Amino acid sequence: MSESRNAYIDAFPAEAKVVRAAFYSSFLALALGGVFGIIQTLHRTDVFRFIDSTDYYTVLTAHGVFLVISFTIFFLVGIFTWAITTSLDRSVKDIRFTWGWYSLMAIGITLTGVAILAGFTDSIDMSADVLFTFYAPLQGHPLFYIGLVLFIVGTWLAGADWFRTWWAWKQENPDERIPLPTFMVLTTMLMWYIATLGVAASVLLFLLPWSLGLIETVNPLLTRTLFWFFGHPIVYFWLMPAYMMWYIMLPKVSGGKLFSDPLARVVFVLFLILSVPTGIHHQYLDPGIAEGFKFIAMTNTMFLLLPSLLTAFTVVASMEHGARQRGGEGYFGWLKALPWRDPVFTGMALAGLMFAAAGFSGMINAGMNINYLVHNTFWVVGHFHLTVGTAVALTFMAVTYWFLPQVTGKALWNRSVALGQVVLWFLGMTFMSNAMHRGGLLGIPRRTAEPQYDGFEFEASVGSVAELDAQIALGGILLTLSLVLFFANVIGTALNGRSDTLPDNSYAETLSGPEDAPKVLDNLKLWTIIAIILVIFAYTFPLLSIIDRGGLFGPDINPFPVSIETIPMLAMALEGYTTAAVASAGEFAQATLLGVIR
Amino acid sequence: MNIHTYEKLWLIAAMVLIVGFIATITYGSVALGITMVGDQEDTIEPRELSEDDRFGEPRVEQVGENEYEAYVVARTFMFQPDPIEIPENSEVTFYVTARDVIHSFSVAGTNINTMAIPGEIATMTAEFDEPGEYGIVCNEYCGSGHHNMEGELHVLPEDEFDLTELSVEADDEVALEDDDEVTLEIAVENGQLEDLETTIEAEIGDETFTEDVTVEGDSTYETTVSVDAADLGEGDHDWSVTVDDYEESGTVTVVDQLEDDGGDDDE
Ligand code: HEM
Ligand SMILES: [Cu+2]
Ligand SMILES: [Cu+2]
Repeated sequence: MSESRNAYIDAFPAEAKVVRAAFYSSFLALALGGVFGIIQTLHRTDVFRFIDSTDYYTVLTAHGVFLVISFTIFFLVGIFTWAITTSLDRSVKDIRFTWGWYSLMAIGITLTGVAILAGFTDSIDMSADVLFTFYAPLQGHPLFYIGLVLFIVGTWLAGADWFRTWWAWKQENPDERIPLPTFMVLTTMLMWYIATLGVAASVLLFLLPWSLGLIETVNPLLTRTLFWFFGHPIVYFWLMPAYMMWYIMLPKVSGGKLFSDPLARVVFVLFLILSVPTGIHHQYLDPGIAEGFKFIAMTNTMFLLLPSLLTAFTVVASMEHGARQRGGEGYFGWLKALPWRDPVFTGMALAGLMFAAAGFSGMINAGMNINYLVHNTFWVVGHFHLTVGTAVALTFMAVTYWFLPQVTGKALWNRSVALGQVVLWFLGMTFMSNAMHRGGLLGIPRRTAEPQYDGFEFEASVGSVAELDAQIALGGILLTLSLVLFFANVIGTALNGRSDTLPDNSYAETLSGPEDAPKVLDNLKLWTIIAIILVIFAYTFPLLSIIDRGGLFGPDINPFPVSIETIPMLAMALEGYTTAAVASAGEFAQATLLGVIR
Repeated sequence: MNIHTYEKLWLIAAMVLIVGFIATITYGSVALGITMVGDQEDTIEPRELSEDDRFGEPRVEQVGENEYEAYVVARTFMFQPDPIEIPENSEVTFYVTARDVIHSFSVAGTNINTMAIPGEIATMTAEFDEPGEYGIVCNEYCGSGHHNMEGELHVLPEDEFDLTELSVEADDEVALEDDDEVTLEIAVENGQLEDLETTIEAEIGDETFTEDVTVEGDSTYETTVSVDAADLGEGDHDWSVTVDDYEESGTVTVVDQLEDDGGDDDE
C-alpha cells in the first residue's frame, strides 16, 4: 500500500469490499432494469414489439422492482456504509455482521427476481406479474413475498449495523456532535424503520399467508393502504442518499463548502417526521377512505415540500460559494466558473435541475382535487422518472465516478465518456419525461401494454399522439445509450490496474458548522417520538375505519390468478432458504462474492 | 441557530408558497365543490353483485329532472354497461364498483377518474353540457388483459336520448289442435321521469296492430296482441314489434300437435 495514497479502500479495506459488492449488485439491477425499460418503451409506443402484450406486465414488474428496490437500495447501503465509517472515522463493529445483512439482501432480491422472471416461461409454474405495488387480489408466487421480506430484513440489520457503530463511537466521544453524514444516515434509517412497518404488516400478516393458502381472503383496501404507508416514504429512502450527496459531495466538487450544517440537519429531521403520514396522497381516488383523511395527507404532503425547498437553497448557495472560490463573479456569471467538465459535478447539477422540474409536476400530483386529472396516467410515470429516475439515478451514477476509484483503488476508466454519459441521460430524460407528462394530460394511462384502443383515440391539442410516442422512444434510446456508456466505465475501471494517484477520501466542510446547530437537533429520540405520534395521528383512524368497513380479511373474493403451488413444497423451499441464509451467510458472501468481484 | 438573511427570506417564501397551495386546494374543495371520492357508500359483497339492486343490472337511471345515476361494474376486462349513454345538459352521478380485482374507471381527458375496488363503491358527480363521445379506460393494472379493458361514454343530444326498453315474450311453437293463439306479451319500460308518448306497432305474419300509448314516467306499460293459430296456418311465421327505434322480432311455428306438453311456455 502506498503511503501517499489516502483513498477509502486504504483506510477501510474490509468495508470497501462490502461497499463494492453493494455497488455491483446495484449496477446489475440497473442493467437488468434498463433492458426491461427499453423493451417496454418500444412496446407501448408501438415502435417495436417482439414480446406478447401479456408478457409486458412481467417486464414492467421486473423494471419496477429491479430499479426501485434493488438498484436504489443497494446503492444506498453502499454509500451509507461509506458515510458512517468515513465520518465517524472508525470501522464497523463486526464485518461479518455487515456481510450477513448484505447477503440477506442479495438472497432476498434473488428469490423475488426468480419469482418475477419465471413469469416469462410456462414451463415453470411460477409467476409474480403483480408490479412493484402488488395490490391484492392480484397474487404473486409466495417466493416473491418471501424474497421481499428477506431483503427488507437485510436493510433493518444494515441499520442496526450503523447504529451500533455510532453507539460505539459515542462511548468514546460523548460530547461531540453527531457528524453530519452519520446524522443523515441515522435519521433516514429511523424513518425507514417506521415506514417498513406498513409493508411488513401487509406482507407478513396478509399477503404471504394468503399466497400460501393459509388464509382465504384479504381486504384489498387494507393491504393497499398498508403498502402506501410504506410506499410514500420509500420515495424518501431513495432520495435521502441523493440529498446526502448534494449536501456533502456537491459543495466539495464545486470547489467550496456546505453553506449550512444546521439547516441540513433540520431538513433531515423534517423528512423523518413528515415522510410517513403522507402516504394516503397516493389514494386520493380510492373509495372507502374519507375525504378528511385525504385532506390531512394533503396538508402534510405540502409541508413536506419545505425540506426540499430548503435543500434547493442550500445546494445553489453552496455551488455559488464554490464558484466564487474558483474566481467566479457577477449575478449569474459565477455559473461559468463551475467545473462543468467534471462528470461528478455536472451529473449532480443536472440531476438537481431535473428535480426542480419534478417539483412542479409533483405539486400537481399532491393537489388533492387536481389529482383527478393525472392520477394513474402517463403523467405520473413522467414525474417519477424525473425524481427517482433522474434526481436519484443520475446522482448515483455521477457520484459513482468518484466512489468507484475510492472502493476499488483504481482510476476511473474514462472521464470524457462519463461526462457524455450524464449529459446523455439528461437529454434522454428530457424527451421521454416531457412527452410522458403531455400524454398523461390526454388521459393516456400508465402500466398499459397497448394504450391504443379500438373504440376511441386520445386527442392531442398540440402535436399528436404519434409525435409523443416518437419522443418517448427517442428518449428511451438515448437513456439506453447512456447506460451503455455507464457500464463501459464501470467495467473499464474494474479492469484497470491499481492507481497511485487517487484523491483523498473526504467530504465537504461547512461554512456554518454543527456548533451553530441547536443541540436539540441531535436528539434522535425526540424526533422519533414526534414522527411516531404524527403517524398515529394520520393513520389510526383511516386504518380502523377500513377494517371496520371491509373487515380484517375483506370480502369473499378469489385471488387472481389463483396460485397453484402447494404448501408442503413451499415449506420445504422456505426451510432450505432460511438455512442457507442463516447458516452460511458468512461463507457464502466471502466465498462467492469476493471471488466474483475479484 | 445562525441563519443567513437570504436563507430566512427563502424560508418565509417557501412557507408562503406552501400555505398558498393548501389554500388553493381548500378553495377548490369548499368554494368550487370539487369533492373527493370518499367513504359515502357502504361496502358491498363483490360475490353478490348480481343480486344487488343497483349493480345486478348495471345501467343508467333518471333520478331528477336533469339528474341521472349510472351504476357501473368494472371487471376483468370490461366495463358494464358499455356504452354508457346519457343526455346532454345532465348531471350524472357514477357509482362504480369492481367485481374481481382493483380496476379504475377513467374517462379519458376529463376529471372523471376513480379507483374501483372490490367491496367498495366509488361515487362521483359530473355535468355534461355538450353531446360528445368519450373513451373510458382502466388505468389500474388488473391482469394480463388490462390493455383490452375499455368502454365508451356517449353524451347524446336530448332528442336522441331515452331510457325506453322494449321486451317481448312469445311462444316458439303453437299447436293447432288446442285451438291455440299466437300471443306477444309486450312490455314498454320508460326509465325517464316524464311520460313517454309513443306508438307500439306489432306484426304477426300478415296481421298488423297499432296502438298509441302514453307510458308514465318510471313505469312499464304492458299489452298483449294475439292471433288465432288457425288463421296463420301451419308453418313458420315471423313477428316483430317496434316502439320508436326499438325493435324485437322472432319466429313462431304453428304445428299440428305439440311433441311434449311441457315446452308450452318457452321464451
Ligand atoms: C433506460 C432507462 C429507462 C427507460 C427507457 C424507462 C422506461 C419506462 C417506461 C416506458 C415506463 C412506463 C411503463 C408503463 O407504465 O406502461 C417505466 C416505468 C417505470 N420506471 Fe422506468 N425507465 C428507465 C429508467 C428508470 C429508472 C432509472 C428508474 C428508477 C430508478 C425507473 C423506474 C420506473 C418505475 C418505478 C416505473 C413504474 C413501474 C410500474 O408502474 O409498476 N425507470 N419506465
Ligand atoms: Cu408519495
Ligand atoms: Cu385494468
